Amino acid sequence: METMEDMETLLGQGRQAIGLIFDPDSFTENKVGAKTFDDPDFGPGAVVGTAELDGKPVTVIANDADAFNEKFPVVYAGVIGMEEAYKMAQAVYATVAADAAKPKAEKQAIVLVVDTPGNGPGKTEEIFGMNKATGAYQLALAEARIAGHPIVAMVIGRAISGAFLCHGLQADQILSLDAKFGTMIHVMPLTSISRIVKKDIEVLEKLAEGNPVFAAGPQFFYRLGGVEEIVPTIEAMRATVIAHVAEVRGRKANGEDDTLGPWGRGALGAERGGRTVRPEVIALLEKELDAVASKYLPGAA
Amino acid sequence: MALNTIEFECKSAAPAALVGKPLHFGVVGSGDLEVLMEPKALKGAVAVKVVTPVSGFDELWRRVLATFVENSKLGDVSIEINDNNATPAVVMLRLRQALSEAAA
Amino acid sequence: MSNWSALQNRSFLESNARARAVGLVDEGSFTEFVGPFDRRTSPHLEVLGEAVEFDDGIVTGIGKIGKTPVFMISQEGRFIGGAVGEVGGAKMVGALKAARAFAEKIAKDFPKAKEEEKPIVVISFETGGVRLHEANAGLLAHAEVMDQFQRCRGIVPVVSVIGSKVGCFGGMGFVAAAADVVVMSEFGRLGLTGPEVIEQEMGKEEFDSADRGLVFRTTGGRHKYIMGDCNFLVDDTIAAFRKQLAELGKTPRAKFAEFRRIGSPELVEKQLKRVALAAEMQPKDARDVWAKAGNADPAALGNAPLDDFRKAVKRLTV
Repeated sequence: METMEDMETLLGQGRQAIGLIFDPDSFTENKVGAKTFDDPDFGPGAVVGTAELDGKPVTVIANDADAFNEKFPVVYAGVIGMEEAYKMAQAVYATVAADAAKPKAEKQAIVLVVDTPGNGPGKTEEIFGMNKATGAYQLALAEARIAGHPIVAMVIGRAISGAFLCHGLQADQILSLDAKFGTMIHVMPLTSISRIVKKDIEVLEKLAEGNPVFAAGPQFFYRLGGVEEIVPTIEAMRATVIAHVAEVRGRKANGEDDTLGPWGRGALGAERGGRTVRPEVIALLEKELDAVASKYLPGAA
Repeated sequence: MALNTIEFECKSAAPAALVGKPLHFGVVGSGDLEVLMEPKALKGAVAVKVVTPVSGFDELWRRVLATFVENSKLGDVSIEINDNNATPAVVMLRLRQALSEAAA
Repeated sequence: MSNWSALQNRSFLESNARARAVGLVDEGSFTEFVGPFDRRTSPHLEVLGEAVEFDDGIVTGIGKIGKTPVFMISQEGRFIGGAVGEVGGAKMVGALKAARAFAEKIAKDFPKAKEEEKPIVVISFETGGVRLHEANAGLLAHAEVMDQFQRCRGIVPVVSVIGSKVGCFGGMGFVAAAADVVVMSEFGRLGLTGPEVIEQEMGKEEFDSADRGLVFRTTGGRHKYIMGDCNFLVDDTIAAFRKQLAELGKTPRAKFAEFRRIGSPELVEKQLKRVALAAEMQPKDARDVWAKAGNADPAALGNAPLDDFRKAVKRLTV
């Protein structure tokens, strides 16, 4: 049997990654809270269920790169189609519903195992609105996060553009396996960006050393605050996920929600020197509003 | 590869303070530009700052702006332009349109 | 923008971001934030030697329609296709956050404020999503905008306005759909994947991106109206959009949840019925769905004058 030390990549192996991250044999697929997913042909590219992590139940949402959605032929290789995105949203809402009466500190964690190359790019998808499906999943995650559920995303393979926005970027914290395991986080590979912005790839690579805003790879997202921590080995993944779920829970208990999620990543980006203009612009906007706000309040002339 | 910044001054023979308050005009589309004009005490001169991806046309910018300033009699103004490959004709048109905003 | 009245009858499609921002609110009421005079250009474009714009292609500010304070975000398609980078993204995020704080202040300090005195957010989309020159920062900004949308829920309504040349695609395609209300003109286009990418993915026989009619039937305002993805379909003038926004300003805030298409478990169930319909129908063309919605002659409906279309159209009820 292949051991973790032998593995060179987890790309395309979402199900195997579930086995490595969570407690052995603890994963129950297709059951989250009171909700069961009984149709095996429904959103097969999305794997949802409940596992235990260090003895505590967590909701698991992952991609299955081996699945092919017969009804929507653009959905394969980990693509998130309409069914997949809504299925993922259902798993989130079921988690929220199950803990609705529980205090913030006891809300079940959600772990996103991320390996997806994109959203369904088809004609049927556009006619019926793929944009709604991916948007629905993001709103569900944001709602769960704000309600107190710790959400940690673990990038094990591909986290590409809109699909990463859909499945990953609404988490409290994002972890990524080191790029040496073939992990990819980007909007477009640098070769495509080079073609579109009409700059030589060598020039762009050189520029990327000083400015991480356009180059592909988890290390650049780390510098922008987009990735909380780079996980150096596959063996370290489980312990790191456990530690971050605990850390997120702790921060939420301390009322430090502002250090988490997309907003928290903004602050982290500034702290790491990667997105320094963002906070200045937001502060300037608030200052300029303050100067005129009274004119727009009720009763103002 | 960085952007090219060109700064210079020009002065009409009979300058007038035509711009009473700051104004902005235009969009930096392809082959287009935006312009900011702000009143500034320059003893009748016009201070120009152009930021453009195109290099090697500094003299042309000076000539176009000098012509515009002379024709319009514009003075005591700072002009800032963000350009994206606009032709001299487009530059002239946008500057005139911007100035007509000041008059409106 | 001295001539506000002249803006009113101007084509929304042809209007730039600032004209839309100024024209959609009452005359003289617009105050711009982080505007051109602040000169917050993108440092990332500068490094690449790309032309910059003083407002980074996004106009943000506040205005009033009647008694309603309107937080405005307006994207400029002529500047790098309206794509969102670090500065423009921060302006969007900042405006949404400020709108939320403003609404909370009114709720706290003006408990007797009338509905129409409570703010709304209007976003005039014209964008393909992430700006590739600063792709990573643009992507992270998209996630922040979605987070702000969720935080605005029940506090300040967000209205998407779509009727500009570039349409609203990429990541901003789902941002627009995640708003409370979507207002479009028939020339507005809303989607996730642009036509060229669909063609590349499916082949020219399945989807010819040069076929303008097909592209509009798939993502255009009329189609989105039939699908319920757009709540209101208005004429292509700034005045027509403004009139719709004025009505929304007077609409009780509690009613905005009813306009939504996504954002709750119930709405997900509703959308899944449509996905099942998509699987069953495998539509070759949006017209197949129009027919399914009960429109006997979809081709004629697509070509009818807009007033006739609005009177005759049957919207999908699945």
